[in-house]
Amino acid sequence: MRSLVRLSAEGEGFVPPSSNDFNLPPIFGENAYTTKPIFMVFFSVILISVFFIAASRKAAIVPSKLQFAGESIYAFVRNDLARDVIGHEFMRFVPYLFTLFTFILTNNIFGIVPLLQFPAMSRVSFPYVLAVFTFVIFHYVGIRKQGLGKYLKEIMFMPGVPKPVYILLTPIELATFFLVRPLTLSLRLFANMFAGHLLLLVFIMGGDHLLKGVIGLKLVSPFAFAFGIGLTFFEFMVQCLQAYIFTLLTALYIAGALADEH
Amino acid sequence: MKREENALWSIFGYLLSGLLFWGGVGWGLDSWLGTSYLLLLGLLVGMGASLYLVWLRFGRE
Amino acid sequence: MTGTLNLVGYGLSAIGPAIATGMIFAAYISGVARQPEARSVLQPIAFLGFALAEALALFGLVLAFVL
Repeated sequence: MRSLVRLSAEGEGFVPPSSNDFNLPPIFGENAYTTKPIFMVFFSVILISVFFIAASRKAAIVPSKLQFAGESIYAFVRNDLARDVIGHEFMRFVPYLFTLFTFILTNNIFGIVPLLQFPAMSRVSFPYVLAVFTFVIFHYVGIRKQGLGKYLKEIMFMPGVPKPVYILLTPIELATFFLVRPLTLSLRLFANMFAGHLLLLVFIMGGDHLLKGVIGLKLVSPFAFAFGIGLTFFEFMVQCLQAYIFTLLTALYIAGALADEH
Repeated sequence: MKREENALWSIFGYLLSGLLFWGGVGWGLDSWLGTSYLLLLGLLVGMGASLYLVWLRFGRE
Repeated sequence: MTGTLNLVGYGLSAIGPAIATGMIFAAYISGVARQPEARSVLQPIAFLGFALAEALALFGLVLAFVL
């Protein structure tokens, strides 16, 4: 594929986007802590805080547009995610779920905002940290609610199975609860953001490269750009969906840890 | 709807961890004993066990 | 461009489970839409079918990495 492009286009060969495009250089200094994703994460925190403080400061019976927007997001997380899933103890977990949802959503949408255009969650460390928070919280809640022994016993021993089969099943249950759940939670978010950003890079950079080619290729490149723009809207959908799924699964895990019976 | 989403992702997690754990055990035994068939055996055992677990948790009334 | 053919094989082998999952849930949705009270009967069947199809996909994924 690369050689084909090189034959048909003038200038240097097309370099397909790869995972190297995600290793951004530090903005100043020589350390690894001043890269663009770090600043974007801090910026997102400031943005979320300013938005919700502004939305809730002048709370009125007849809400302004800003207040309505803030309250819609809050009501969505509280009613549709926390209350429907967790049940009567849901108010304790609304702050965490709300923070998680807005943080992931804002950082994902940064992936398609012009000038920023990099989803911080496509660096795998950020989803790992969020998954570790969720992991600690849902195990802590389960242990506090049921006691350590009973909680572990409920995870490890499925009722209604002959005793020797536990040798097969107990490791699988333990691996699911302590390894696969946080891992899939973080990797799902990471992989979606990574693949989506890579897809946009392929179309935009490919269209740019075609524009530099001979006249026949110049005619093709608008189609690549149009596809890139269409996929940007598709990406917006995926980004909202991934923030929703991460929060929903966190709520479901907390609900599973709180429930007495499986 | 949300319960179904939960069930689907837990099924996925069970199958993945069954394959990973028992496949890992088979792989470890293979490199310890110098054989080559225990990895496949471990993967099959893991898949069977996780399918059984899925049946226990979601398949019966 | 370098890579391994295993991943191409995995991509091909994931087509089957993908179609199977789609068909299972299409049938489940139309069954529940026609007869909403049959949901509790259909749900375990749909989940088991999904588990069987998904097991093949995951088997392909693991074999793509270990072979």
